Amino acid sequence: MSKTVIEVKDLFKVYEGPVPVKAVNGISLTIKEGEFTALKGPSGCGKTTLLNMLGGLDYPTSGSILVGGNDITSLGENELIDFRLRNIGFVFQAYNLIPVLSATENVSFIMLLQNRPKEEREDRARQLLQSVGLTGKEDKRPGELSGGQQQRVAVARALASKPQFVLADEPTANLDSESTANLLDIMLKLNKEEGMTFVFATHDDRVINRARRVVAISDGKVVSDLSK
Amino acid sequence: MLKLAWRNIWRNKGRSAITIAAVMFCVIFAVVLRSFQIGVWENMTHEIVANNFGYLQLHQKGFWADQTLDNSLELASVNEQIFLDHPDVKGLIPRIESFSLVSTGEGTKGTLVMGIDPQRELPGLQLDQFLVQGSTFAPDDKSVVVAEGLAKFFNLSIGDTLLFIGQGYHGASAYGRYPVVGIARMRNPELNKQLVLMPFKEAQFMYNCVGRATTLVVDLEEGASYKQVNQELLAAIGLSALELLSWEQLFPEIIQTIEADMAGGQIFISILYVIISFVLLGTVIMMVAERQREFGILVSIGMRKSKLAMVTVMENLILTMGGALLGMAIVKPVQFYFKYNPIDLSGQMREAVERFNFEPKLHTTTSFMININHGSIIFLIGSLVSLYAVWKIMTLNPVKSMRS
Repeated sequence: MSKTVIEVKDLFKVYEGPVPVKAVNGISLTIKEGEFTALKGPSGCGKTTLLNMLGGLDYPTSGSILVGGNDITSLGENELIDFRLRNIGFVFQAYNLIPVLSATENVSFIMLLQNRPKEEREDRARQLLQSVGLTGKEDKRPGELSGGQQQRVAVARALASKPQFVLADEPTANLDSESTANLLDIMLKLNKEEGMTFVFATHDDRVINRARRVVAISDGKVVSDLSK
Repeated sequence: MLKLAWRNIWRNKGRSAITIAAVMFCVIFAVVLRSFQIGVWENMTHEIVANNFGYLQLHQKGFWADQTLDNSLELASVNEQIFLDHPDVKGLIPRIESFSLVSTGEGTKGTLVMGIDPQRELPGLQLDQFLVQGSTFAPDDKSVVVAEGLAKFFNLSIGDTLLFIGQGYHGASAYGRYPVVGIARMRNPELNKQLVLMPFKEAQFMYNCVGRATTLVVDLEEGASYKQVNQELLAAIGLSALELLSWEQLFPEIIQTIEADMAGGQIFISILYVIISFVLLGTVIMMVAERQREFGILVSIGMRKSKLAMVTVMENLILTMGGALLGMAIVKPVQFYFKYNPIDLSGQMREAVERFNFEPKLHTTTSFMININHGSIIFLIGSLVSLYAVWKIMTLNPVKSMRS
């Protein structure tokens, strides 16, 4: 039986204002190791808010998020940053690479923050770039790569820290069909071969169709949770 | 981190160039301004003090407050050997300084009369260097050298005779008749209008004060610290009947003028600093706004805010240090050029400077301390301004920043 990577219990996120908005309205969810899960739903349904809280980028109003048994909602700011560095890989919609660093440097940057030795950083970065099909592009800066290539660098970066799971927020939103298919192939390969856990926030059917578990969210609540 | 900071500097070359240029021009402007200000005063002080009056003067006690021949000192009462034994003292230069009514033909004018020994005198009174006509006098001669301005007033030529009448030591009449053997152009414009120089012995004779002098200038070795010499001499001679005064005590009004002028310059430079602070702050605000999203990403993927802040501070320090060093280097030749090619003043400015008995020229100082001081201040401003980026980073919300 796979071990639980993320356990969300009664999670609420309320944005205060003249009219309080419940972005996440009592979600409970468990993500197991090796899952390839898509959180789907229309814009504004709360999937990105949920993903941000799973990644420790935002604090919930109430509820708990257990990662490896530890409640990350009780961590302080620096502890959360260190936690993200050690345990979570992020892939963002807009790639979000560091423009002044090459592909290799972008990937190894996370390992630099982890104080890993230079040789290990370079070897792993090269290996990861090879696994996402970017051999020969190691020294290119983000501006010299296509959108699909940049997103593949972002995936390699997300995996560089050997995280417990990868959170991807609309990773294919800016990609054409070929690049999307290519990226998903790579992610599924990493999921199958390395057992890496992926959680996507998406409304892209191309991703949803290939996910093995689809959690539908509407108005901040889980309305369906289907495993294929 | 340094590599990241370095590359960030090159990513927006325009902004980096603006920052470096702003710092550089501020350093150049501040250093040029201060160099002129200090250089002018250094030169004026040197002109007045080192060349004419000396950094230290020995008098009969009370002479400087009441400058009459009755307060002259008796040379025999001064143990000159104590002064000569000091390694930084070249010797004592005796002077008689008094006033006299001088007339020739139909012209009469009150003049300053100085009895000097030109061979022993300070550079400003070594007459052979300043003669425009005629020659100087020997110590035993009975003749005078007249300042150029005064000579023009009297329309004097070499060989003309001047009549002196005044008051000597203890109320004695002081009168004499001396031929003009030379006309000298004094550097000090005020002295140039009213000075008559005569041999020291002849001045003693005319003013009835043989064996006396109004002033003994302590002639110092080049580069000697007059403050230190002053202290050591004061301790050695014991001044019951004498006064040993430094130039600051002799001319407090010069010190006050310098301080007032420096304060004015400081206000001007402070305004410059405020302007540069806002320019630098503007570039930092631009930088933070441009990279808000990137900061959010870096914090999201696990970079501590303190490390990120350190990178941006490094960027800013590299830029401001680069600008400051460039400015300090570029301005150096300018300082040297104007040190040896001073600007001649003209018009009202010239008259104003001359009123203070100073040479109407703008020199710079080449002291590198000015460059270091202003470079450091502007570097410090750059460092302080980068605190804005630190504050923005330390308070950033990664989710909001990534949405920006």
